[in-house]
Amino acid sequence: MYEVYIQALISGLLIGGVYALVAVGLTLIFGVMDIINFAHGEFLMFGMYSAFFASALLGIDPYFIIPIALPVFFGVGWLVHGTLIRPVVGKSHAIQILLTLGLSLFMQALAQFLFSADFQSLQLDYGSSTFELFGARVSYTKLAAFVISVGMCGALWAFLQGTDTGKALRACAEEHEGAQAVGIDLNRMYKVAFGLGIACVAIAGIAMTPFFYVAPLVGPKFTLVAFVIVVLGGLGNIPGAVAGALIVGVVESVGALAMPSPSLKDLAVYVLFILVLLFRPQGLFGGKGT
Amino acid sequence: MIRLRDHWFYLVVLAGLLVLPLFTDSDFVNAVMPSGLTGSALLHVFILMFFFAFMSQSWNIIGGFAGQLSIGHAAFFGIGAYTSTICYIHLGLSPWLGMFVAAGFTAMIGAGLGLISFHYGLRGPFFTLVTVAFAEITRLILLHWNFVGAANGILLPYSRDAGFWDFQFNGKEPYYYIALVMMLCSIALVAWVARSRFGYYLHAIRQDEDAAEAVGVPTKRCKIQAIALSAALAGLGGTFYAQYTQYIVPDDMVIGRVSVEILLGTVIGGAGTIMGPIVGAFILIPVGEATRVIFEGGGTGISLTTLIQSDVGLAEKFSGYLAYLAGGGGGGLAVLLYGVLLIAVVLGMPGGVLPWLTRKRKSFAKSDKKGDS
Repeated sequence: MYEVYIQALISGLLIGGVYALVAVGLTLIFGVMDIINFAHGEFLMFGMYSAFFASALLGIDPYFIIPIALPVFFGVGWLVHGTLIRPVVGKSHAIQILLTLGLSLFMQALAQFLFSADFQSLQLDYGSSTFELFGARVSYTKLAAFVISVGMCGALWAFLQGTDTGKALRACAEEHEGAQAVGIDLNRMYKVAFGLGIACVAIAGIAMTPFFYVAPLVGPKFTLVAFVIVVLGGLGNIPGAVAGALIVGVVESVGALAMPSPSLKDLAVYVLFILVLLFRPQGLFGGKGT
Repeated sequence: MIRLRDHWFYLVVLAGLLVLPLFTDSDFVNAVMPSGLTGSALLHVFILMFFFAFMSQSWNIIGGFAGQLSIGHAAFFGIGAYTSTICYIHLGLSPWLGMFVAAGFTAMIGAGLGLISFHYGLRGPFFTLVTVAFAEITRLILLHWNFVGAANGILLPYSRDAGFWDFQFNGKEPYYYIALVMMLCSIALVAWVARSRFGYYLHAIRQDEDAAEAVGVPTKRCKIQAIALSAALAGLGGTFYAQYTQYIVPDDMVIGRVSVEILLGTVIGGAGTIMGPIVGAFILIPVGEATRVIFEGGGTGISLTTLIQSDVGLAEKFSGYLAYLAGGGGGGLAVLLYGVLLIAVVLGMPGGVLPWLTRKRKSFAKSDKKGDS
């Protein structure tokens, strides 16, 4: 009987790793720029489509396009910041939410126009191969997604701790005026933060493509899950987001066992979310300004 | 005291709308409008305009006047539609009465949501996120509840001899006038709110909640009342929509176009103004419907999935793809336009179209006076 729970625990941790990368992108953007990005999941969706078409049309393995996608999506984020986000930095959250909501509608509709509303999924030779771990079946593609995502989170963490740009980003997250006073170019940091955040979420999308369907409306679910994680981990707190993501992954997959229908698994996540918002809005691990 | 002289423009529009159904099938309309937008299809567009104006007005109370950005407002609409429909099918209660049962129920749920959220001091983006989670939870429950048809939804029983009490009509004209009256009532209600003490309280909360609290505005109570009132109107709208389309299904009711368009209408027209949501819906719906009729008519019959999986070379796939795009692609242009409109309004005329027009008119009048002197 307990094998089911080990299976759920391992599946939950694996998908939680991918959620971590999605949420880290969101919390980085929030932490540095104080921007609420409701279009986050749509960048994930475009990441998934890039992997899908690279594989389905050109026969390139989805994992090999990550090195190309990383700078491309960083550039996309940079451009989106320059054209759309920059005017609303420092404005009310309501304005930012409306703007990014408009962007998310635009991107969903663009994907529908360009790629149709059909559900697409990649058929890879190794897509369904698995191995056994503590009596649970683990698929290689999910393990790969976990390793890539957690690796990216680690790399981002090292970047923020070790490089000058990373330190400048952290300074912006701490105190905007202070950072500006010591000569940090705030606007450039915002562009870097938005570019990095978008690159993270797009890579998470690519890493998921071997085992997750792609469709224009796939994004909102991930946006909401990322917000759940970010709130759980504390706004702007990157290690908190990783821990929160693993918790949400496990709650989701163990919750699926407890619910009458597996597709109700999200219910457990949303209930957890509302409880955290109500009783511990600063997150389980503390966030910005706590 | 409302002076009619100041509102002649709206009165002319209203008079036009009252007689419009007489002309939707006339030679003139057939000659001027594109072929998919005449007769009952044209009436349908107007019904949608009135309906979305009504729904936007409902959102305007919590989202506009109280300044609490709710993205999950369509959940109240969906719950309202399901409530009156269940009352009609299982209890034989006329939808005319079921409508008010629905409104009472959604008001209670709205007040409950507000009580929980505002009691724990949720503000700004946190309240917005709770509304999103609330809508998702509502959708998931409806989607898995067999009593209400789960994912299949409910097809309302249709009978040929359905009468007035069944809220079922053969032509579109009755729905047209019902929607028009509902819209007018919502305008009257919001106009009353805007001039009441309650309205001034909400205005103060929107401007600066801490300051409002400090000068003695019962902020928590006002916000709960606002969300309950908003939710009640959305519940009424849900009943109308269920009776008009005769078919309700969870995805359409909670996350479909309604959830987006009610917010868009208000924001584009002018959130927190009396006529803003009406202006917004009257811009948004015709633009959206015309785009759907003109660009999303037949489609090319090319399936992208088949194209990708076919054995032809890349160049041939690419030319096939261009033909697919030229034929309207996978659709979605109306929503594309909505996204652009929302971004343009937020960046270009924050506050919405109506306040922008009013400012323009005032500065125009000023420069006129200067010219006289």
